[in-house]
Amino acid sequence: MKLIKYFSKKLLFGLIFFILSPVFISVFAQGVTESGEIGEGYYNFIIFLFVLLVAVVFALLFVFGMKEVSVEEEDFLLKTVKAPNKYLQKLNQILTRPTPIEKESDILLDHEYDGIRELNNRIPPWFNYLFIATIIFSIIYFFDYEIFESSPSQIQEYNIEIQTATLQKEELLKTGSLLDENSVTVLNDLASLNNGKEIFTINCVACHRPDAGGLVGPNLTDDYWIHGNGIKNIFRTITNGVPEKGMISWKSQLNPKQIQEVSSYIISLYGTNPVNPKPPQGEKYSGE
Amino acid sequence: MELERFSYDNKIVRNFGFATMLWGIVGMLVGLIIASQLFYPALNLNLQYTTFGRLRPLHTNAVIFAFVGNAIFMGLYYSLQRLCKARMFSDKLSKIHFWGWQLIIVAAAITLVMGFTTSKEYAELEWPIDLGITLVWVIFGINMFGTILKRREQHLYVAIWFFIATWVTVAVLHIVNSIEVPVSFLKSYPIYAGVQDALVQWWYGHNAVAFFLTTPYLGLMYYFLPKAANRPIYSYKLSILHFWALIFIYIWAGPHHLLYTALPDWAQTLGVIFSVMLIAPSWGGMLNGLLTLRGAWDKVREEPVLKFMVVAVTAYGMSTFEGPMMALKNVNAIAHYTDWIIAHVHIGGLAWNGFLTFGVLYWLIPKLYKTELFSKKLANVHFWIGTLGIVFYASAMYWSGIAQSLMWKEFTDLGVLQYPNFLETTLQIIPMYIIRAFGGLLYLSGSIIMVYNLVKTAKAGKFVSSEETEASAMIRTKDRFKKGIRHRFLESKPILFLTLATAAILVGTLVEFIPTFLVKSNIPTIANVKPYSPLELQGRDIYIREGCVGCHSQMIRPFRSETERYGEYSKAGEFVYDHPFLWGSKRTGPDLQRIGDKYPNIWHYMHMEDPTSMSPGSIMPHYPLLLSQKLDISTTPKKIEVMRSLGVPYPDGYENIANKDLKKQADEIAKNLNENGIATSSEKEIIALIAYLQRMGTDIKVKNVIGK
Repeated sequence: MKLIKYFSKKLLFGLIFFILSPVFISVFAQGVTESGEIGEGYYNFIIFLFVLLVAVVFALLFVFGMKEVSVEEEDFLLKTVKAPNKYLQKLNQILTRPTPIEKESDILLDHEYDGIRELNNRIPPWFNYLFIATIIFSIIYFFDYEIFESSPSQIQEYNIEIQTATLQKEELLKTGSLLDENSVTVLNDLASLNNGKEIFTINCVACHRPDAGGLVGPNLTDDYWIHGNGIKNIFRTITNGVPEKGMISWKSQLNPKQIQEVSSYIISLYGTNPVNPKPPQGEKYSGE
Repeated sequence: MELERFSYDNKIVRNFGFATMLWGIVGMLVGLIIASQLFYPALNLNLQYTTFGRLRPLHTNAVIFAFVGNAIFMGLYYSLQRLCKARMFSDKLSKIHFWGWQLIIVAAAITLVMGFTTSKEYAELEWPIDLGITLVWVIFGINMFGTILKRREQHLYVAIWFFIATWVTVAVLHIVNSIEVPVSFLKSYPIYAGVQDALVQWWYGHNAVAFFLTTPYLGLMYYFLPKAANRPIYSYKLSILHFWALIFIYIWAGPHHLLYTALPDWAQTLGVIFSVMLIAPSWGGMLNGLLTLRGAWDKVREEPVLKFMVVAVTAYGMSTFEGPMMALKNVNAIAHYTDWIIAHVHIGGLAWNGFLTFGVLYWLIPKLYKTELFSKKLANVHFWIGTLGIVFYASAMYWSGIAQSLMWKEFTDLGVLQYPNFLETTLQIIPMYIIRAFGGLLYLSGSIIMVYNLVKTAKAGKFVSSEETEASAMIRTKDRFKKGIRHRFLESKPILFLTLATAAILVGTLVEFIPTFLVKSNIPTIANVKPYSPLELQGRDIYIREGCVGCHSQMIRPFRSETERYGEYSKAGEFVYDHPFLWGSKRTGPDLQRIGDKYPNIWHYMHMEDPTSMSPGSIMPHYPLLLSQKLDISTTPKKIEVMRSLGVPYPDGYENIANKDLKKQADEIAKNLNENGIATSSEKEIIALIAYLQRMGTDIKVKNVIGK
């Protein structure tokens, strides 16, 4: 029992320190918060919290699940795993410096409140170290952000993030991997059309009917188009919307690839002649 | 030495004890209902009284002020009398305090469900109830200090220090945050607007956690834990250090609720560093609690009372470590607005407050009834069910909070949002909501078992309403005022103690408030920002009434993932006419600050009637009643008048013509709806709400240039 307890403790501390370290390191590296992907530190922190939770549960199980151990047994156990225990005890002695229970009467204060007595144990040194460490951290942090302004303000952080993203976007447009209304093409493969259909069913049917025959919005299967036909026009209409006519902009809800897929799906519906369609709206375009 | 005979008032303790149990069950039940509404929206029942927006504040108020509040008074009235060796100052005041508090709770429950709310979190109650709370709190204070002054014990025990700090700080917090100008009997506007309102509110909100959920409970821990374990407190020195450090530092940390918002950067920095410095002082309480159990751990395995207390104190330690971590800006960027916060507060609420309350109840009720606990076995069952409930609850909420936050922030390789549709991220975490509700169900079941157990205990025992005792009169010994025992001197001077505690909490308050209110550069003005039109103002009050702020923020943080999704980030100058501010603290639904002009009127109309018609799968409640209820415009002139008195620049005499403008704007919206095939009249509430929604965030909005 003692052995398991000892090793699980050691393992736990090791884990916690390992996981904790990057969190503190990453505190000052805030400029990178959002530019690009999220740093490793976050995941570690999250894992750390989980470990903490699990650890507490296990600690509880330990405390409450242990069988009663007689004094002799306890003595025996203490002797058998003496060496490691000594280290732990030493560590505990250095960090907490408690007065041993046997000598408690020496530090028992003479007052008593409704039967409650108070000991005058020294404040655990590790508590003091922790307190002082957080104060030092805070002073450095304050000077860093408010006096020397060596770490960016939140708006500076944002500007850096946007700058990075703009450069990235220009690059992507150049290489042609990012779609816009000029580079978009019709997709004909089944997978894309199925994706398009799914997007259409989720987002568009409220106004255009499941068969695209038109309801609040126009019929999408006929020759008549209000904002132009063809993949480029449809892509643009969906992306930017026409709010004054009730068509919302979808660019914040669908990514360009999804808009391409749903546009292609709409084009694939041409000529399906749904039952009882909405009367034609807009100009007539022949063909596709 | 002659002994004086007197008695302790146990009746008041018992009353608060049973009120704790009653409201605890009610509060948890409401919690379970709203948790279930999130995965089963039909539970909103399409009635305005039972929607999530109105029930959420009911849940928070019930568990904080009714459950925990009554528990504080129960523990305080029991321990204070014994620590002072004196009966409560006045039985009459105790009685007024008890019934006054219950009356406030009932009034709160009724008004919140009816939609009377200030919308400020944990301070939702309207001004007449605010006055009632102030009155009851003063009565409680007189009663407490009266008892302290007539005590037979020269020195104040550490528990009483915490009670004193609690009393004075809650009084200051409540009064400052509730300064509001009445519009009608149950409607008011706060005198603060926008950024200032936000700062005051979160100074309040944060310290409500500190001084209502923490310090009084530390007081209870310092009394009931050593009593139950029969061990001396580990370190008197530690008590002194962590008490003063805790109350001095806690008050500064409020701005950590507003990181990356329009609050000035310097205030945010203060929020961060004072949160970090809070770790040690908070842990002081945990240490003193756990180390007190040195040599009594064998009892912990035996005694359900101690089990509950150990978990409570441990959870307190976890929570107060997690809190400062979440106050770091890079962690906060992920945690804010998500279920992570819900997980965090429930570790504190369920484990620290809940379990400590249960521990105290299991110890106290048998004592009051001079008997043994009816069933130790049931108490153990309660313990394990409760612990399991917390584990389910917390792990589900951590998971969903972090998962959703990462989805909100994820960009594809092509630099566009991976999940541009907010709803998609909501639907991903629905299973977690189910697990959370299951955890809550377990926890509630445990509490019901406890109530059964304690009622049985009470029935088996014999209640003594006045417990006879004796003690000698106070003997004043002179405290030598020398190093090492200086604090001992202070402990015999309650009024001086109160004054110093007040000073300790006022430092942080003033340092943060004065510049925010006086220095103009903290809130740069924006010329385009104009006051709301009368119709928009009425619509905004409907938004407040329905508790929309419970799920929708109006604060876009300066992150690319947010500006991409919602639009330009929020500026301090945009909120100068917002009495109250509506930034929100949780995004169960998307941010709404730039919702204006984004969708046509008809979209909002249909969405309010049935959100799933526009957003299939949406978990938002339906609001069909807004479509049929008529807007009350009789309040418009008074509202305009009050707003002007608060500094909103409506011209003189505008209140007389405000309703004319209101009707004109309403007619336009109704006409637009009619043209789109919706048969509605301009007098409905929905029209005002649409007007407000369409106005939001448009003052500085960069209009989309539409192709062609």
